[in-house]
Amino acid sequence: MDTFILIGITGIGLGALYFLIASGLSLIYGLMGVLNFAHGSFLTVGAFVGFWIASKTGFETSMPEFILAMIVGGLAAGLFALLIEQLLITRLYDRHIDQALVTVGVALVVGAVLGGWFGNDLRMFPAPMWFLTAIDIGGAKIPADRVVYIATAVLLLVGNWALLKFTRIGLIIRAGVENRNMVNALGINVRRAFSTVFFLGGFAAGVGGVLVSVYSNGVSPLIAGTYLIYGFIVVVIGGMGSVPGSFLAAMMIGVIRQFANYYATGLGDFVVVILLAVVLLIRPQGLLGKVRA
Amino acid sequence: MNALVIRDLHVKINESHILHGVNFDVPSHKVTALLGRNGVGKSTTLKGILGLYSSTGSVQLNGQELIGMPTYKIAQSGVAYVPEDREIFSTLSVRENLALASRSKTNNAAFESIYELFPELKTRAIQLAGSLSGGQQQMVAIARAMLNTNEILLVDEPTKGLAPKLVTEVADALAKVAEATTMLLVEQNLALVKRIAHHVVVMDQGRVIFQGEPENLDDPSWVHQMLGVSGGHK
Amino acid sequence: MLRWKYSRPLLVLFVSLLALAPLLGSNPLSQPGFQQTMAVAFIWGGLALTYDLLFGFTGLLSFGHALYFATGVYVTCILINHEVVVWWLAALISIAVSAILALLVGAASLRTTGITFAMVTLAFGEAGHVILQRNFFNLTGGENGIALNADLIPEFWISVANTKFIYWAALAALIFTYVVIWWVTESSAGRVFAALRDNELRVQVLGLNTQRFKLLSFVISAALAALLGAVMLIAAGSAAPRFADAGVTISLLLMVVLGGAVTRWGAVIGGIFYSVATTRMQDLTQQDAFKTIPKWIGGPIAEPAFVLGLLFIFVVMFAPGGLSGAYYRLRLRAITKKSQ
Repeated sequence: MDTFILIGITGIGLGALYFLIASGLSLIYGLMGVLNFAHGSFLTVGAFVGFWIASKTGFETSMPEFILAMIVGGLAAGLFALLIEQLLITRLYDRHIDQALVTVGVALVVGAVLGGWFGNDLRMFPAPMWFLTAIDIGGAKIPADRVVYIATAVLLLVGNWALLKFTRIGLIIRAGVENRNMVNALGINVRRAFSTVFFLGGFAAGVGGVLVSVYSNGVSPLIAGTYLIYGFIVVVIGGMGSVPGSFLAAMMIGVIRQFANYYATGLGDFVVVILLAVVLLIRPQGLLGKVRA
Repeated sequence: MNALVIRDLHVKINESHILHGVNFDVPSHKVTALLGRNGVGKSTTLKGILGLYSSTGSVQLNGQELIGMPTYKIAQSGVAYVPEDREIFSTLSVRENLALASRSKTNNAAFESIYELFPELKTRAIQLAGSLSGGQQQMVAIARAMLNTNEILLVDEPTKGLAPKLVTEVADALAKVAEATTMLLVEQNLALVKRIAHHVVVMDQGRVIFQGEPENLDDPSWVHQMLGVSGGHK
Repeated sequence: MLRWKYSRPLLVLFVSLLALAPLLGSNPLSQPGFQQTMAVAFIWGGLALTYDLLFGFTGLLSFGHALYFATGVYVTCILINHEVVVWWLAALISIAVSAILALLVGAASLRTTGITFAMVTLAFGEAGHVILQRNFFNLTGGENGIALNADLIPEFWISVANTKFIYWAALAALIFTYVVIWWVTESSAGRVFAALRDNELRVQVLGLNTQRFKLLSFVISAALAALLGAVMLIAAGSAAPRFADAGVTISLLLMVVLGGAVTRWGAVIGGIFYSVATTRMQDLTQQDAFKTIPKWIGGPIAEPAFVLGLLFIFVVMFAPGGLSGAYYRLRLRAITKKSQ
């Protein structure tokens, strides 16, 4: 039973990391139709800036220092995302394929710059010692870092929900995901919503980057790789443009992957792809996605 | 005095030429009906005016050129739009649909007059717009266009797909709206056109072929020749 | 027409020269090192062309094309190493396996379109990558891959002195790919592909089954990619998971966009240029002169992805059509000037 709980919670923790990258991907795609390959770079930029902040404090980082690293990493990634959007994406307005291509270019350049500066080896991320302690949940000893991932993801989900639900820009974003032209026809400049979504998506990915570096025991320009691909899978399964859909799909995939890996080593990724194929065949718009008009 | 002056409007969509130089005027504080068979470019004309399709030529709103402006600025200069398939935001509540459309923060009077016209929208304020009936969705679409002070209202087939009883209801609402504003109305229901239009423009194959008085609609042979329908309802 | 009237005879002459170069006295192509570089470059040129059939000619943005290339590499290698069949039959079987795989994956992923299709193909491609890294049934050798057993292939495929045979095989595979894709794109099916790219609705209105044509394009390009994979196996001497990496597909996309999509020669030149540039740039950064550049700028420049990525962004933003697009613009200007 306690192994069961341990695997389940570890899966949810992994799902939380997937959600942090998928939520931004999903909103950016839902609102603007941009398939953002640069999203992995946002994660990496956040990870490196967070690493820089955390290493200022030596080998041991206190919890407030770690939270500061997450926030600064998130902000840096958000600003970087905003820069990419303003500099490149908006100039290719509605040329969706070209936008996707440009983000591929950004991912390559960012990877090369970080690789050139820091090398591709993992650098130890100084996480709080507290992360290594085990928390007792239903008899299972759960590593504390899992709880931090889950709490962060839930916090961001709630923040996201509140922003979308209670602010005017949130209203514009929700309406824009459904029908961008009509939002414009109501006299609202929908591009302001684009910038907001890019910043928020970058922020979440940056925070995710700091957590991913803890989970993978260090930072390197290569850490984003599998997370970006899992992010895409989560977005497709959850439904493009639906943040709750991404959350649901991320948790599902995290848990399924952990269980599959436990009972048959290496089967996790395979099962996830089978799941993707099944969802596509039965419900091509994803779990909570809407059929586009 | 003309609110809208359209000259030589061309629209191409994916390399097919839809509008081949449309010319007509929309007089102020009157209802102008834009008629024609299916697929002659009536909806495209409205979308061209709004900048939803890239177009060339000239569209002047009270002397201001609209061609080349982004859609949101055209809307801000006072062009309101009630689209063909209503295009309400189905995942937003009725209240949110209206709040989104309202561009000024202190707009209680406008909301009150909307609720007076469509009391149902007030009782259903928190319902998701996607779960409304076709007629109620049309009310949301019209209400959305009326929340701001506009120079002109572009209305595209407001009675399309509605039950006869609802057609009357929407027609009453439009007649009321028409008293206060300039309207360019695309409509297949000739009874409604006869009731509220002051001016008729007929299009065929991407061009305007007639501009004149709605009295012509009383002549069945004119209607048949111009619109290809045998008068009355579609 | 934009085609230069001498282009075809010149192309035949140039290709013959390339084929004969290893036999003609002393020139760069008579050295095994450069033969190897060019063999790999030809394979990439051919792969870029198979990708162009999907992306440029049919309008399918696939991010999982590496899967079919890797299928060619791995299936051929496994069949040879386990002595199942003779080497050339192994290559043929790998092509068939790749085509069947593409049929299945294509049938599922073509239910989606545009950007979603891109994501879905990426997911399938990555799944293949992951499976290869897992070493199921001890077949794929996990993360290290598997070395081709040199005892089980003819002698002319091995030893440095015989590199020219690999060079010829790669050139032949490129020419074969070019001819097949030329034939496919000029055929009536090819015209449907182009129409699909420009306006899918119009093709549907004509009563053609658009899914079937897209699937056909998907399968043809996968089969050709497997052929090139089999040649790559001989050139590289081993099968490794890096051939299945999403980075391979992204490189193909870069090659096609840099060279110019929708032109066959543009894609081939893009592929050859990219491949040679990547190898040469690494050599260049080993030079002493390079070491004098400060590290904060020299570090990124030493990574080929930096320069190529910037070039790529520039082409997408400011020079659509890439190299061949620029060429046709020049031709067009020359022709209009002449007719004035």
